[in-house]
Amino acid sequence: MSGFSGCPGSRTIEFNNVDAPDGSTTAKVPSQLRQWPIQLHLVSPEAPYFKGADVLLAADCVPFAMGNFHGDFLKGKSLAIACPKLDGGQDAYVEKIRALCDEAQINTLTVVIMQVPCCRGLLSLAVQASQKSQRKVPIRYVVVGLQGDVLQDGWVE
Amino acid sequence: MEQFLRTPIKELIERFPDVGRILDAYGIGCVPCSVGTCLLADIVEIHNLSEEEERKLLGRIAAVLFPGQDVPLPVTKRSRPAGPRKISYSPPVKRLVEEHKVIMRFVALIPLIARAFDPDSEEHRRLIIEGVDFIRSYADRFHHAKEEDILFGYFDPNLDILKVMHEDHRKGREHVKSLVDAMDRRDREGVAANLSGYAAVLTEHIKKEDEILYPWMDRNLSTRQVGEMFAKFQEVDRKFEEASRKYEEFVDDIESKFNTVAEVTR
Repeated sequence: MSGFSGCPGSRTIEFNNVDAPDGSTTAKVPSQLRQWPIQLHLVSPEAPYFKGADVLLAADCVPFAMGNFHGDFLKGKSLAIACPKLDGGQDAYVEKIRALCDEAQINTLTVVIMQVPCCRGLLSLAVQASQKSQRKVPIRYVVVGLQGDVLQDGWVE
Repeated sequence: MEQFLRTPIKELIERFPDVGRILDAYGIGCVPCSVGTCLLADIVEIHNLSEEEERKLLGRIAAVLFPGQDVPLPVTKRSRPAGPRKISYSPPVKRLVEEHKVIMRFVALIPLIARAFDPDSEEHRRLIIEGVDFIRSYADRFHHAKEEDILFGYFDPNLDILKVMHEDHRKGREHVKSLVDAMDRRDREGVAANLSGYAAVLTEHIKKEDEILYPWMDRNLSTRQVGEMFAKFQEVDRKFEEASRKYEEFVDDIESKFNTVAEVTR
């Protein structure tokens, strides 16, 4: 384990390089993805798969950190992904999430982010959008550790 | 041990009073419950102790049930891992907890209302009538329209814990009916007794819901169900918007009248 002591989001860390024990060698894990595209700039709030849906807004890194992202979070939900640190045009993100609440009339919004501080920005975007929307939607947030464990799981008040 | 896990808690505590004391030490207040039909296994699950605490609790209970014997401890169901003890509600359930605070502000005034009540005073009699209207309209119709008709609807109606909650609601309504009868007879003691009875039932009932039942329900509701419930609650809120504001103002007014503000900050 080495690196520099600056931004925790960019710090170099090497995890235990032994393969994690699982049963993935014997069974193919089916994808739970129900739509395309998935990047937040590319999705349209008018897409039929968002109408009344439970929407998952995941930070780009989350599916790589979580071994069972499809089963635990994606299943049954419509998806948008974004990176609050590197993506440009984030005002458009706020407007798009607002449109999901007001126009697509989504049922819930689950925001899954990494534990690194910069990832909190994605949750802030969702909260800002919710404040701008006429229609209120429950927002759930999940914070995922660097090795895929769920550190926090709650509802925005 | 398995047979005791399937035993109603009241029966178990009657046979082994130390079990009640042990539960009490873990913040599980089954001893004063007048219904007591919940099974020990369900109680342990619903309270969502950490795995370590749960093993210790079951170990202490086993030592009471089987003194001097080494009994293997059962593994109970866990819907989700025990989280931090601070309770975090989903938005619709949080709304119910906020309504409980309004109800508890009224309940906190009941001893003052009961003490001051003069059956020959038109003003006092009007206050009781308004209080009964608050209970029947805000607590029973508005709040329970969401709690009983929507939230409880997501769970098996045969669950013992729900039977206990319905029984508490029934007892509360019975006290209100007796309260109205006592006031019609101008029976001061009857009014005071039923006001106090209602306050006691509601205080214990709301504590059980806020601290045990609602967190357990939240752990067992899917995200989809939370969203649906949120939308249904908003419909009820819109329908009762004016009425709920009126009753919240009623509580503000009587707090001013008695010059007190209840400390309901849970």
